[in-house]
Amino acid sequence: MDAMQRAVLRADPRLSRFDPLSRIISFDDFDDGYNGWVGLIGNYEGSLDTMLPGFAQYMEPQLSNVTHWDTGSHGAFDGTYCLKTATRPTRGSQNVSIKRVTFRYPGPIQFECYFTFKPEASELLLSELDVRAVGFLFDLQDGESGSRRVMPHLRYLNALDGKPVGQWQFKQTSVPFSKIGGSGKTVSHYHLSSEGWQDVPGGHQKLCYNEVPTKINWHYLKFGVELTSMTFTAFQCNDRVFDVSRMAPLIVPAMANLWCMLNVAMFVETDTDKRAFLYVDSVLVSGDF
Amino acid sequence: MIRRSFTATVARNETWVGQAATEPYEAAWAGEAIFFIRALEAAVPLAEAVARVQISPDGIHWCDEGTAFGLPTAAGQVTFGRVRHFGGYLRLVAALPPGAMCKVIVALVLKE
Repeated sequence: MDAMQRAVLRADPRLSRFDPLSRIISFDDFDDGYNGWVGLIGNYEGSLDTMLPGFAQYMEPQLSNVTHWDTGSHGAFDGTYCLKTATRPTRGSQNVSIKRVTFRYPGPIQFECYFTFKPEASELLLSELDVRAVGFLFDLQDGESGSRRVMPHLRYLNALDGKPVGQWQFKQTSVPFSKIGGSGKTVSHYHLSSEGWQDVPGGHQKLCYNEVPTKINWHYLKFGVELTSMTFTAFQCNDRVFDVSRMAPLIVPAMANLWCMLNVAMFVETDTDKRAFLYVDSVLVSGDF
Repeated sequence: MIRRSFTATVARNETWVGQAATEPYEAAWAGEAIFFIRALEAAVPLAEAVARVQISPDGIHWCDEGTAFGLPTAAGQVTFGRVRHFGGYLRLVAALPPGAMCKVIVALVLKE
């Protein structure tokens, strides 16, 4: 990025708080709408009953002004609305929002966002251990000359079984694929299962939860991947820059209809019988091409 | 500027018996909404089953908005209810008589 381009980005109040690569692939400010973010749906064939249970629980994201019973509307980082991904009120429930595009050049790409998470404010308690985890991932596949579907996963494990954790994790392994329906064309794998998460080296981090469930503070997140080597290139949350040299993505054989896929997803999981909410003010996906 | 809109599937392949409710949905940006219920499967008696739109100041405490409509009584049928001026949070609740069942897909169609 040259000095002129950097100066233009820094002069735009909406972009100045991001550190994009040289080309902006998408900039989603949820004051403008959903911007193509939808609920993840599991694969099915013939009947919705064929969907794996882990996927069947998922629901659509919401445009939220973060309204609470005690203070009213909190609003977003800027403007009024953010994207809210909400679980059901059942311990272990999970929800995922996703945006689906493709890439035109297999080079470096980067995800940035401003996010926060909270449990539903249904009790007059601190409730800081009610959200189990929030996470972010790319779902990628080589161009048609390649052979890999690659899924770099990251999650912040906030708490587990009522105990504080505060650890960033990545995932290299997933559960086996299941056949869906009878045509032989459809499979599914629940890659967001609780198995297989590994700690990011040096990845323990204390975030700003604040002092009641209705006070929120926005956090910066950035991570990058290179689409030829399919390795992590960067990972940062707020003031912490993590060593990615010992992190790796989940890799499975390429699938029949996913060439050049560039999906971005965000997820949240609750550790109690209370809804957990992941709020995202804005997302910027950029690349060098 | 054209009017923005969004359809959220707020219940998918869910089996309703007795009392049922969709998860809360935030729609403060929208000025009008329609809840559609489509039956994937149905077991009578559903003629007296009623769906009611509810609104909420906080997504936790709910009250009836006043709009009520019937459930589909056979697979493939669709029913709907329109609402306006609903504030921030919306959900749909349903009451089914004993012995009745409806497996539903519920769409919440929102527009500025």
